[in-house]
Amino acid sequence: MSALTDPRGAVEDLTRPEGWVLGVSAAFLLFLLAALLTGALGPTYFLFLVGLAGMYALLSFGLNSQWGFAGLINFSVAAFFGVGAYGAALFTASGSPLVELFEGVPLLPSLLGLPIVGLVVGLAVAFVLAILIGIPTLRLRADYLAIASLGLAEVVRLIVLNERWLTNGSAGVRGIPGFFAGWPVLGTFPEAMPGLRLEVIPGSPVLLETAFWQALLNVLLVLAFAGGVYFVLRRAHRSPWGRVLRTIRSDEDLARALGKDTYSFKMQSFVLGSLIMALAGVFYTHLNLYVGPGDLDPITTFYAWVAVILGGSGSNRGALFGGIVIVTIREGTRFLNDVALPIDPAPLRLLLIGVVIIAVMRYRPQGVLPPQRELIWPSAVDGGGAPDSPDSGVREQKGGGGDE
Amino acid sequence: MTVIGYLANGLVFSSIIVLGSIGLSLVYSIADFANFAHGDTMTIGAYASLVTFGAVGGLGGAVLGLPYGFFVALVVGIAAAAAVAVITERVIYEPLDVDSIGLLITSIGIAFVYRALIQIRFGSDFTRFDIQPLRPIEALVPYGVRVTLHDVAIVVSAAVLVVGLHVLLQYTDLGRKMRAMADNPDLARVSGIRTRRVKLWTWVIGAGLAGAGGVFLGLFNQLSPRMGFNLLLVIFAAVILGGIGSVYGAMAGGFLIGMINQLTPFFSDVVEALPIWPGWLARLLESLISIEYANAIAFVIMVAVLLVRPNGIAGEGAT
Repeated sequence: MSALTDPRGAVEDLTRPEGWVLGVSAAFLLFLLAALLTGALGPTYFLFLVGLAGMYALLSFGLNSQWGFAGLINFSVAAFFGVGAYGAALFTASGSPLVELFEGVPLLPSLLGLPIVGLVVGLAVAFVLAILIGIPTLRLRADYLAIASLGLAEVVRLIVLNERWLTNGSAGVRGIPGFFAGWPVLGTFPEAMPGLRLEVIPGSPVLLETAFWQALLNVLLVLAFAGGVYFVLRRAHRSPWGRVLRTIRSDEDLARALGKDTYSFKMQSFVLGSLIMALAGVFYTHLNLYVGPGDLDPITTFYAWVAVILGGSGSNRGALFGGIVIVTIREGTRFLNDVALPIDPAPLRLLLIGVVIIAVMRYRPQGVLPPQRELIWPSAVDGGGAPDSPDSGVREQKGGGGDE
Repeated sequence: MTVIGYLANGLVFSSIIVLGSIGLSLVYSIADFANFAHGDTMTIGAYASLVTFGAVGGLGGAVLGLPYGFFVALVVGIAAAAAVAVITERVIYEPLDVDSIGLLITSIGIAFVYRALIQIRFGSDFTRFDIQPLRPIEALVPYGVRVTLHDVAIVVSAAVLVVGLHVLLQYTDLGRKMRAMADNPDLARVSGIRTRRVKLWTWVIGAGLAGAGGVFLGLFNQLSPRMGFNLLLVIFAAVILGGIGSVYGAMAGGFLIGMINQLTPFFSDVVEALPIWPGWLARLLESLISIEYANAIAFVIMVAVLLVRPNGIAGEGAT
């Protein structure tokens, strides 16, 4: 709001890291724009990447509402993501094993092929799974939760890999339609749009065809998902409920002494985050049009973790920034492998993720964009300016915690 | 295979798990965080010994079906794992200004870096030690026990290492200092114990044992960059079962988890033989208790133990 009415003042208000992030993002955007206009980067692929970045941002929002808000160390992000993805895939794909399973049962076959049913089923299964995982682990010490959740994620992955009758096993699920398939107008929108031919630089035209419009729809969808989640989380984080969670994160005993049922609050935060992760999984299914057990690999969990701790634990803006960095790592290694270095992208990605985790914990445990004004009602700040950062001495002790 | 046969296999696998879980538990009690890089430390030991064995060869004679060169490689593997752990402690963990949760997250980054480097250097395929696989010991086959001399070597070596650690912890100065530090680091420090040095020795011992476990795992199965990470969860299950921070608990937990893991086919036979009613429950149990889920079963047992006894079998701080 203030950025629109008073752009100069808004820029001056930025803290130094905010300025840096803004500058780097702008430069990166210009670089991508140049690549787009010269035809070096296909517009459809670009939109796919934007969709992927939105997906990781969504995943990071989910983790943020567990780790960033309540301090829950959830290492089973991949499991919730996978449950959402498989729920959506199994109910919509033409090659889904459910088609055979439901054959002859009244009513059930008519549910198949509807993305909205897949969405509901994915979220419902994630809800049940979150409660099942939460009951035994949320009473435990923080590091026990880390170990137990990583193990339970592995159990989910093993089930997906081995129960072929339900999930197709290692072959994965193919033949998934777009999210809008079967919708009145949007379902046929990509085919109805005319193919466009843009020629910005003579000799290298940019073609916009059906696939492009399909990708555009996906981007709009993820923007709607991410935008909705962002506003819900921002509201929740500032509300009395969010304040209790922040108290639990910094001192659970204190919260309990104040008469709060911390187990119940932690469970609410855990379920909320898990649902958001499953939502990311549902979107991923309709973006990628293929789901396999490889998507449940622990690396997915740690992509989300890197996004959150890099962006700043507890900060939703940071999660957004982290999501973009993750896509850059994921696709950048592939690009590097194609163009420059013949190194297998998989270990290179692993190496980069590892180095980023270590570097953040070493040099900036609170993350690049720690939550500051995000947590304060706008009307409560006198000049609306950024709080002065202390010169020295204050260092958040809770690994990677925000300046709350 | 008979029950004795499964138990024998369980003993071999348990030896490997015990080696891994002792190190994890030691580091947990003295450096005070859950080290997720422990599994990959095992991988480092395994690959270091693979390279060494390739370089030195058999060196003539053999003990228990293993050439002398393999024992040289084992020592190098242990040393390499310990050296890497000490360097990591000095360069990365020590300068960090975060709490134990921050250390935990950092250790995941370190695990990824270890694994990525091994994968870049050696590729992601499975490899083996260049040692002729042996036939099971003839004298034991009539009892349904199919173990090779290599398996015997694994169990004997693990037993020697475990006894050595016991002696070290109970009867040496370093062991007493370590136990003091595990109990109360601040008190240990004001009593004049050089805690930094003791911590480094803890890393040497813990990672060294992990390296040995990795070498034996490579001998028992195969080597791959993911071998350690895949085993990590089973080792965590063992450590939690035994009670985090308790070395003797970790031994017991490792033994139990290794046994349960290898006894899974036996359990599935039992389930098949039992008259379970109703039919769908029998089918569900049959499909879940199978070799594919051996690791998952270890894990579910761990969660169940946490529910009943959050401090594990031995309880906290019973080093």
